[in-house]
Amino acid sequence: MARPDPVAPEIGAGGSVLRTSHLGKHYPVGSWPARRGAPVRALEALDIDVRQGEIFGFLGPNGAGKSTTIRILLGFLHPTSGSASVLGHDVVHDGISIRRKVGYLPGGIALYDSMTGTALLDYLAELYGRSAPLRASLIERLELSEADLKRPVRDYSRGMRQKIGIIQALQHDPELAILDEPTEGLDPLMQHAFLSLLDERRQAGRTVFFSSHVLSEVERVCDRVAIIRSGRLVALAPVATLLAHRRRHVEARVEGAMPQLEGVPGVSAVVVEDGLLRCDLEGDVGPFLAALSGHTVRDLTIEPARLEEAFLEYYAPDAERAP
Amino acid sequence: MIAALFRRTIAANRIRLVACLIGLAVWGAVLPLVYAGFGKTIGSFIRNSNNPLMEQFASFGGGDLFSLPGAMALGFIHPIAIAILGVMVVGYPILSIVGERQRGTLEVLLARPISRHTLFLVLFGVGALSLALLIGVQLAASVLSAQLSGVGDELDLSYVPLVWGMGWLLAMALMSVAFAASVSFDRVMPALGVTLVFVLVSYLLEVVGSIWPSAAWVSDFSLFHYVRTKELLHGHLNAFDISLLGGVLVIAFAYSWVVFPRRDIAAPS
Repeated sequence: MARPDPVAPEIGAGGSVLRTSHLGKHYPVGSWPARRGAPVRALEALDIDVRQGEIFGFLGPNGAGKSTTIRILLGFLHPTSGSASVLGHDVVHDGISIRRKVGYLPGGIALYDSMTGTALLDYLAELYGRSAPLRASLIERLELSEADLKRPVRDYSRGMRQKIGIIQALQHDPELAILDEPTEGLDPLMQHAFLSLLDERRQAGRTVFFSSHVLSEVERVCDRVAIIRSGRLVALAPVATLLAHRRRHVEARVEGAMPQLEGVPGVSAVVVEDGLLRCDLEGDVGPFLAALSGHTVRDLTIEPARLEEAFLEYYAPDAERAP
Repeated sequence: MIAALFRRTIAANRIRLVACLIGLAVWGAVLPLVYAGFGKTIGSFIRNSNNPLMEQFASFGGGDLFSLPGAMALGFIHPIAIAILGVMVVGYPILSIVGERQRGTLEVLLARPISRHTLFLVLFGVGALSLALLIGVQLAASVLSAQLSGVGDELDLSYVPLVWGMGWLLAMALMSVAFAASVSFDRVMPALGVTLVFVLVSYLLEVVGSIWPSAAWVSDFSLFHYVRTKELLHGHLNAFDISLLGGVLVIAFAYSWVVFPRRDIAAPS
């Protein structure tokens, strides 16, 4: 009987690489024996499903529950309710099988300061029991020199530490990369290089799950995003869908009579001032353009929808979010 | 994988281990030298003083300077030896689990396919070997020093392994307690505090009980009391002492074994 490919991803039902079902984590308040009051609900009934070969963005402000979720997936924390599986393995009972196939970059990674970069990467690769086929290309792409790698990690800048963190997470070509705030500390050029690396991971059929609050990078590389707030999932959708439903800001300089925009689908917050028409536009632009036809439009600016706005809308207090 | 972890743990602790080895080798050699030079003189002076209090006070922690076994026993219970050994008995377990947890390197390690049981066994194994080496070096230095000082014939070498074994058992019991504290906390200071309180109170009870006859009973509550070096060097091995130290070792080990995998690894500070 043929042996299974040791690096072939084991996919759960429905092609999902990572799945959580009503996943919850509560912490007691205070420490024993002075525990009191209701527990802190760090994560509440989280349901997400990450598919093979996609880049999945996990968005939320600090304290939203992103790192808690990641730490549960890797077995560092034990869920208080619900379940989760990664590559077909249960996170509570089969953590070693999961970690054998996952690359992990913790947020604000801590490294062994006395080791050189090369020794550290060798050591961390050896602990996987797998070769590190991607190391050389990662080192080249992230512009670390041989001289850099021969220096002790204690001499590294924050950006260099982050590069080492990225390399150790990806060097063994993991089926799933779980990256917590991966671009922290990287300069814009390196951020660009890193996002290209993620794109290549996707093209190679690998899956990336990364948390971030830098929305531009999520918008650029992610296929789908989940947004959590106060431990609860508030949105899970393809980036394109989120963007399509975001309001765009429109400015039109119109000569003569102003177009009648009341009742035009997707148009709101119309303001007219000295021949300048301002409004917000959501969804299909067709009805809006149809309303403009027949009017003399000297200038028209439709500001592209940014994920930031989607994000801010989701994070705005409920009263502000009301349509 | 386990070999890499083992090598790395040794490498990470090599400087403190070598420093402790040198310290204990020097210390182990000192007291036989002092005994050979002045022990008999001091002993006869104290005995001739006819002051039982002075004689009692000179028998610190079951050791003294009036005989070679007494000098070696004093070397074992002396604060200098305890402080040096404490680096590995207390410092190493605290730094290797809760220290790494606080720094954030524990999660880098545990993101690899290593179970917490495996990690614990490797760390415990390195600690056990280190302690065996440290106590062995102190004893070897004492024996060598006694031989070179011309008092080696006062020692029956066949009983020295008993001291090594019981000394190691005591150090292992204390290290197990330190490991138990290390797996129980998210931050270094509480774990270190609990362990130091346990070790220092135990030490203090032994010292107080040994120098104050009216309070001799308190030393029964000290783990240090159950390594009776002078008696061991005369061939008297007590099964109860082995059981008690072994019991503490097993209970603390079992506690860590159960608790470590079940505890959440808190985010590093």
